Amino acid sequence: MDLTRYAALFLTESREQLAAMSKALLAWERQPQASEPAITCFRAMHTFKGMAAAMGYPRLTELAHGSESLLEHLRHEPATGRPVFNLLFRVVDTLEQGIGLAVEGQDGRLEVAPLVEELAAAVRVPRRRAAPATQDVVPPDAPARAGREIRVLIDPGAVMRGARAMLVVRKAESLGKVSGLRPPLAAFELDGFDGAFSFRLESTLSDPAVVGQLEVVGDVARVDVGEPQVDFRTEAGNRRRQIRVDLRRLDRIMNLASELVVAKGRLVELAGLAGQGPLSEVADRIGRIASDLYGEAVQTRLTPVWQVFDRFPRVVRDLASQLGKRVRFDIEGEDTLLDRAILDELGEPLIHLLRNAIDHGIEAPRDRARAGKPEEGTIRVSATGDRNTVLIRVSDDGAGVDRSRVLEAAIERGLVPPGSSVLPDELLLRVLSAPGFSTSGKVSSVSGRGMGMEAVTTRLRGLGGSVEVTSERGVGSEFTLRLPMTLAIVKALLARVGNEQYAIPLAGIAETVEFRTDRLGALEGRETFQLRDEVLPAVRLREWLGVAGAPPTGRPAAVIIEVGEQRAAVVVDALIGQQEILVEPFDAPRGTLPVFSGATLLGDGVPALIVDPAALVGGGLHG
Amino acid sequence: MSHTILVCDDAIFMRTMISDILAQAGFEVVGEAETGREAVEKYRQLKPDLVTMDIVMPDMGGIEAVREICKDDPAARILMCSAMGQQALVVEAIQAGAKDFVVKPFQPSRVLEAVQRVLG
Repeated sequence: MDLTRYAALFLTESREQLAAMSKALLAWERQPQASEPAITCFRAMHTFKGMAAAMGYPRLTELAHGSESLLEHLRHEPATGRPVFNLLFRVVDTLEQGIGLAVEGQDGRLEVAPLVEELAAAVRVPRRRAAPATQDVVPPDAPARAGREIRVLIDPGAVMRGARAMLVVRKAESLGKVSGLRPPLAAFELDGFDGAFSFRLESTLSDPAVVGQLEVVGDVARVDVGEPQVDFRTEAGNRRRQIRVDLRRLDRIMNLASELVVAKGRLVELAGLAGQGPLSEVADRIGRIASDLYGEAVQTRLTPVWQVFDRFPRVVRDLASQLGKRVRFDIEGEDTLLDRAILDELGEPLIHLLRNAIDHGIEAPRDRARAGKPEEGTIRVSATGDRNTVLIRVSDDGAGVDRSRVLEAAIERGLVPPGSSVLPDELLLRVLSAPGFSTSGKVSSVSGRGMGMEAVTTRLRGLGGSVEVTSERGVGSEFTLRLPMTLAIVKALLARVGNEQYAIPLAGIAETVEFRTDRLGALEGRETFQLRDEVLPAVRLREWLGVAGAPPTGRPAAVIIEVGEQRAAVVVDALIGQQEILVEPFDAPRGTLPVFSGATLLGDGVPALIVDPAALVGGGLHG
Repeated sequence: MSHTILVCDDAIFMRTMISDILAQAGFEVVGEAETGREAVEKYRQLKPDLVTMDIVMPDMGGIEAVREICKDDPAARILMCSAMGQQALVVEAIQAGAKDFVVKPFQPSRVLEAVQRVLG
């Protein structure tokens, strides 16, 4: 049998097992007496061993076998200390490295003998005292399942079957305890939900009473009670509906769908020129299908953030112990969905923020105690999202930024005018992310590595996102990353400056108004624009971009942009119209104005740069 | 005594239509609200037996209003009025405490069925 065909699958699945193992180890270390993490570790290692053996990787198998023996031993000897955890973490690291070698046919190069010996030695450690006789950390294979199995079918002709099903579940919850819902709640909202679902109900009511209560919810076609002999919705049945797809294939589908949406724009435009008729009908229809297809393609790429967050606990643990800090690490909202392409770019910036939080944020335990804080610091990463935007927050309860030192350094380097006495949050970020900016001058072994704050803000801007920071001395800091849920297509306003077209994402635009010179003014040396009773900073794109040539002959306009609380009036030569644009990643050469977040090809093939509203509203540093 | 109902929708047209359907069936429409905030205030004031609630309204949407009302009165009986294609919002409303829903365009018989179910 040719095993190489399975190598890719082995790689993916064994990584998943190791990730699960890593996570369980962290939980176990926090609560050495907890039985569940121990069992998870054992199972993951056992599965891993089976796969490695099946693939014919002897070194990986040997190491996994040694670890499994130790884990088996620990199930009966639960008193476990830090050295054992460190050993197991090293095993996971080695296995991670090993699977890469193994699939390249280099299993033999993996050095496992010393670790296997250490594992064996750990098993031989004599028991310090007899383990309690009832220390049974393995749960029974099948927990006794109480209650009745209820199967419900919503009327196939009903609208919003998912919402109706939800009402049935709520009703059942009012009758007793509901468990084992299949399919899970999340599936109710999907278009493909066929209205059939089942759950277990523990209730004192009789079968007919339960059926009667559930039937009156409305649009219920059938309710069946009883043990399912052949359940049409067994787990195996569900599993058969899923397949693994190579990510690159999804990416290609996504790109093609994106291009189709952009081409559709051009088609609809041309058909419009030909007037109403069969052509414009077909164009509209193709337009709608293209948009739907794009929507579906985006859905397939949405990925829960835990796929990236999962490695953070380990990173935090290692850095904290390296720096002698005590850190409690919390993750919230790990099921939040985000475009895979965005998520893949977030690991590094987030690790940079975590590293900063541990190195510069969280104080040494003694200093914290002196300041009246708990010795253990807290770092939290949370993700929340709605339909369009995902917010990721990294916060710590550490020392906060020393503004006076940052201000001093910023004045020294000419980043803020001399004599400034306060440093507001929005300016703080600009200073922290100025190229090469550092307050301490010294670079610790931890924070000196990897990307800097400058790279974090640049990366986020490239993704169509932004960074905000708030910080209070002695209380802590919070960095907020604001991201679009999906990349690729955004609605934009096209504007002309000189001979070029520029795209401004609609998400950052509040309104557009006619530009009149009698509305211009000046405040603190900056040009302003009067919008009704509001005075906004004026940003003349023509001057910013250094466009030469005669001033425009057309009708200039002011685009009012809005990012968070900040607003500004951007003056352009003329407005062209709205269009859906396909965002191409954009690597601005060093030295270019940091006002572009990407580039795009318009429907007619003309390239245009995409202006970043966030960079324009905070124009203070460059104005 | 007939049941009292509070009708919440930002469109006068919809409020009138719902009120008519309910009045003809013998229910007493005791109040109308055109924003979520107003719905919450009027609920506190009127304590109706049932509320019909539009999902998309200015100044506090329907879902937020359901949440607020159920915070005060977990037994509140709220019927969501949704447009086609808003299933995710309806599910959210149910999780927030709404008891049932009808989908626009309304058929009087469907509305009355749902009202009867909720008043049960």
